[in-house]
Order: sequence, then C-alpha cells, then structure tokens
Amino acid sequence: MNPGWILPLVLLLPALLAGAALVAPTRRAALRLVAWGTLLCAAAAVAAASLALHRSGELTSLGAWLMVDALSAYHLLVMAAVFTLSGAYAHGYFREDAESGEMSLPTARRFAALWFSSMASMHLVLVSNNLGLMWVGIEATTLVTAFLICIHGTPTSLEAMWKYLLMCSVGVALAFMGTLLVAASTHGSGVEGASALLWTELRDAATRLDPKLLKIGFLFLVVGYGTKAGLAPMHNWLPDAHSQAPAPVSAIFSGFLLNAALYCILRTLPLVEALPGNAGWGREILVAFGLISVLVAAVFIIAQHDVKRLLAYSSVEHLGIVALGVGLGGLGHVAALFHILNNSVSKSVGFFCAGSIGHLAGTHDMRRINRVTALSRVWGVGLTGSLLAIIGAAPFALFLSEFLILYAAIQQGHTFIAAIFLAGLALVFVGALRHLISITWEPLTEPVETHRGTLLEHALVFVPLTALLVLGVWVPAPFWSLLERAARVLGGAS
Amino acid sequence: MTLPVDTILVLVILTGFLILGTVRLHTAIRLCAIQGVAIGLLPVAAAGEGTSLRVVLLGLFIIALKGVAFPRLLRRAIRESATSGEMQPYVGSTASIVVGILALIAAFWIDSRLSFLPDTHSLVAPVAFFTIIVGLFLIVARKLAITQVIGYLILENGIYVFGLAIALEVPVIVELGVLLDMFVAVFVMGIAIFRINREFNHMDSDQLRNLKG
Repeated sequence: MNPGWILPLVLLLPALLAGAALVAPTRRAALRLVAWGTLLCAAAAVAAASLALHRSGELTSLGAWLMVDALSAYHLLVMAAVFTLSGAYAHGYFREDAESGEMSLPTARRFAALWFSSMASMHLVLVSNNLGLMWVGIEATTLVTAFLICIHGTPTSLEAMWKYLLMCSVGVALAFMGTLLVAASTHGSGVEGASALLWTELRDAATRLDPKLLKIGFLFLVVGYGTKAGLAPMHNWLPDAHSQAPAPVSAIFSGFLLNAALYCILRTLPLVEALPGNAGWGREILVAFGLISVLVAAVFIIAQHDVKRLLAYSSVEHLGIVALGVGLGGLGHVAALFHILNNSVSKSVGFFCAGSIGHLAGTHDMRRINRVTALSRVWGVGLTGSLLAIIGAAPFALFLSEFLILYAAIQQGHTFIAAIFLAGLALVFVGALRHLISITWEPLTEPVETHRGTLLEHALVFVPLTALLVLGVWVPAPFWSLLERAARVLGGAS
Repeated sequence: MTLPVDTILVLVILTGFLILGTVRLHTAIRLCAIQGVAIGLLPVAAAGEGTSLRVVLLGLFIIALKGVAFPRLLRRAIRESATSGEMQPYVGSTASIVVGILALIAAFWIDSRLSFLPDTHSLVAPVAFFTIIVGLFLIVARKLAITQVIGYLILENGIYVFGLAIALEVPVIVELGVLLDMFVAVFVMGIAIFRINREFNHMDSDQLRNLKG
C-alpha cells in the first residue's frame, strides 16, 4: 500500500477535531479535547514524518500536491513537540477559568475549534507541495489565530489582534505576489501550466528558471513571509500579539507559527540557490535580515520590563539567528535547523512559566516580580531555567547551535558577520541576565504562599528542559543525520 | 479585443484616484465595489472569443465577492459602529491625489524597468502596480480601521490584476483557496472592528496605541 494516504489524514484529523470541538458538551470536555486531540494530531504528524524519513525520496500524495521530504518531516516533528506540550499546558491553564465560570462554554468551544484549525492550517503549510496552497495555509493561520489572541477580550488584546491581523495580512499578500512571480519564472522552462506552482517541479527545473523573475519573487517572499516570521524590521506586531495572547497561545506563536512562515522562505531558497551564477545571492539577503533582527531584538530586550514581551523579542532574535545560520550555508544550515528545535522548545516552556508566574504574581512586570522560585517551585525554576537557555547559557542546546553558527561564520571567513552576531548575543545575554537576576534572587517584599505544582506541570517544565540540557552536551547520531538530511534539501550538504 | 480591456483598466485607475480623493466612507466603499466588479470582468474581457466556462464562473464569483459581499460587510460594520461616516485621513484628499499621480508615474516607471513580463496587454502591469501602491498608501494614511480594510481590498485587487499580467494558469483549487482566505480575512476584520468598537467606543486605529516598546 502506498503510504501517501497518511498525508491527507494529517490535514483531515485536526479539521475534524475542530468540528467536534464546536459541539463539545461542556467546558471541561472542550479543554480535555484540546489536550488529547492535540496528542492525536501530533501522533499522526509524527507517523507521517517517520514514513517519509524511511524512504529515500519524498512521500507524495494526491497527484504530488502533498509532499513530505526531510525538511518538512523535521518541521512536522518540531511542531508535534510544541503542540503536544502547549495542548497539555492549555488544559491546565484554562481549567481554573472554566471552573470559576470566567470562561463560558461558547468561548471554550471557540478556543478549541480555533486551536485545531490553526493546527490544520500549519499542517497544510508543511505538507503542501504546491506553493499556492502553502500560501493559503499561511493566510489561514493568520485568520484563525487572530481570535486566539483576544480570547480574553481585553482592550489591549483587541489592539494587539488588530495590529497582527492587518500587518500579517498585508505581508502575506505581498508573499502571494512573490509566489506568482516564482511561478511566472517557469515561462519557457518546460514546466507546464498548473504544475508551475509545484515545488518538486520547480526544483527539477531550477536551472532553467528565469533568474530575474525568480529573484524578485524571492524578495517579495522574504519580506512577506518575513513579516509573519517576525524578522526585523517587519516585526512590529509580534511583541504585542505575544504579550497579549494567553500563554498557551503565545507558546504556539513563538514555538511554531513563526517557524511555519520561515519554512516557506526556506522552501524557496534552494530554487534561488540553484540558479546558475547566483549561488549565495539569496543567502546574503537572509544574513542581512538575520543580523538586523538579532540587533533590533537585543536593543529592545535591554529596555524591556514585561516578561512576555521579553520572550517575544527573544523570538525575533532567535528567528534572526535561524535566518543567519541558513544564510551562511554549509554547517550553518545544519546548525540553523538544530536551532529551530531548540528555540521552539525553550520558548514554549518559557511562555508556560511566564504565563503561570504572571497568574500567580498578578503582573508581567519584571520589576514587581521577585523570587519567582518562592512563588512557585516548578514555574519559578522553569522560568529561570528557560530564560537561561534562551539567552544562550551553556550547556543548554541553544548555546551549542549558536556556537555552531558562529563557527560556520568564522570558518567561511565572515569575521565581520561573526563579530556583529557575537555583539548581538552578548547584548541579549547581559540585558536579559539583569532581569533574570532581579526576578530570581531579589528578596521578597512580603511573604507569599508557595504554589505546589502537579506532576503534569513538573513534566511540562522539566522534561523539555532536560532534553535541551542533554542535546547541549550530546547530540544523538540519528538526530544529527536527520538534520543533515533536512539541510541537504536547503541545498547545502555539509 | 483590446478596447474592453482598456476601458476596464482605465476604470480601475479612475476608481483608485476617486478613492484617494473622497472623504466619505460610503463613497469609498461604493468605489471599492465598482473596482471589484471591474476586476471580475477583466479576465472575461481579456479572454475575448476564447472565453471558457471556468473564466466566466470565476469572474462571477469575484464579482459576487468583491462587488456585493464585501461592501455589505463593510457597510454593516459602519452601521454598527455609529461613525461619522468620514474617513479622517492623516493625509488630506488633495495631497492623496498627488500621491496617486506619483504612484501612477512610478507604476509606469517600474513597468518600463521590468521588461521581463511576458508580452500580455501593455497596460495591465502598470495598473496592477498603481493599484497595489494605492492600497498600501490607504492602509498607512487613513485613521479608521475600516479604511485600512478598504486599503487591504484595493491591495488585493492590485495583486489579482498582477496575476493576470503575468498570464499564469493558477489551478482552480488554489484560486478558490485564495478567494476563500480573502473572504474570511474581510469577515474576520469586520468582526474585529465590531469588537474593537464595542470595547473602545470608537474604531479609530489611531487610538490603538497602548502597546509600545
């Protein structure tokens, strides 16, 4: 039997669950559905990814409209991890609201339905081979996640939602123009009509594509999808949306929504790279955006007082680091892909802890939060640990991937790039460490009741953090070869 | 068969200028609808004798969406938000028209620089660029959230025309997906405006500025 059948299933499953969520009988049932349904969808995605990885070529389905190769399989795995964690966390996060009656049944249903719709649309982005369909998926993520931001309906969350909706819609509209231009570059290359949007066809014909059209298209795609990925200077919506959304939603925003948009840029990169005489052109653009993002984020992190906004700017930084690594090529490709996992996992945990600490302390202002470990052992230690991981402290895996990217830059003789990158990292480290020290070690002004976490809460914090610690000192060989396989899709075998 | 196409393209430019010049919201919505209908007719006119059923159906769908559904949604948003019906521009109408003229010049200049486009109708690409610039300008230069939606619609119109300019055969499913996304986008924006208005008692995006830094 052709294992391609799993790809439509990966799309259908979350879509069906979204429908089921709309008729959930109680608030608790809706929230339980979020936790278990997410696990189910993640399992399907993992199955699809492993089926694809066990083949030598790509796994295709529906007349090559759907396709999973090493790059998308890797992204599917990262997404499954982020969503499984966030789904389990969301269940606990909203349970109190649901029990106190603060969250009504329609709200709970709507939240669950939008949650699964966002999963379905992100899966569509990852499994579609058709660039047009990929665009449809990205635009759909904007639309379904917009209301997830303002599930609490506060004025500031509405403001953040409007900014997000408008900026991303306009950005993604420009990305559509880029998609059209990329497809138009097939004129005279032998790729016929409707298949001009199929990525595999474009890749096979890459040397015959019209260089001018493809390059302009790539620029539009980088700016358009870059807006959604939060690359500076198009990142304005990001800190607002991330800080106003409920914590589980912020976690999927930072943990995967941004990566899904960046994935679309990564998809187009090998096409541009394959143009005769243009190797390195597309990568230079990514390096530029990457460095700008790191520097802009560093400046804002230093001046930041809101812990969720700090994490949001850190996402701008880390997506910039990924773009930089991909732009460097060679070892940088592998390191950047590694960094995607590290950032997604640490950022999700960071948002879980920041959200719960914010709940307990009644504020997200780091000047008014002291001794987080006294507030809650599990969330406090988790916040300190994830912040340490995020700023690149050794021996967390983020240190390793950042180090590898730096190494790639120096190895290729880009000392200048390496210097700027290092300066950005140092600024972030110092800036965030200052906040970290104040919220962790400054004595409490008044005694508080210590929150005792449940077993699940401990698992949600310590399993991912331990994984990051292990990956920081020991990368298993199969995982590394998976990264290398995915990096080969990007056009840079190391 | 270039006369109908030219007429439609001139109509698109004209509506673009009129939207830049108007201060009344209802007029802007009507103009936006007219432009939408013109854009729905464009592929039908361009196909001429060789019109296929697919082109006609798609054209009808676009007209229904841009000419009827979107204006209704927008009018409803205005009704429920008790606005004065004025655009409240950051940039006044005269200055906006000047921007429009500059945009038109820029559009022709871009087109002349980019001689890469396959030889379709000569006016199509500049009109697309002009409409895109006007859309982007409206988004940044008008205060009300609803006018930003109008700007977004104009931008989408421009991108649609651009798609025609590069004469690409987009598969129907993708085309429908794009239109569906657009429809949902406007719908979601409409609900967003309604909720913003309920919460803030205005729909002035200028006052949406509590989040900074």
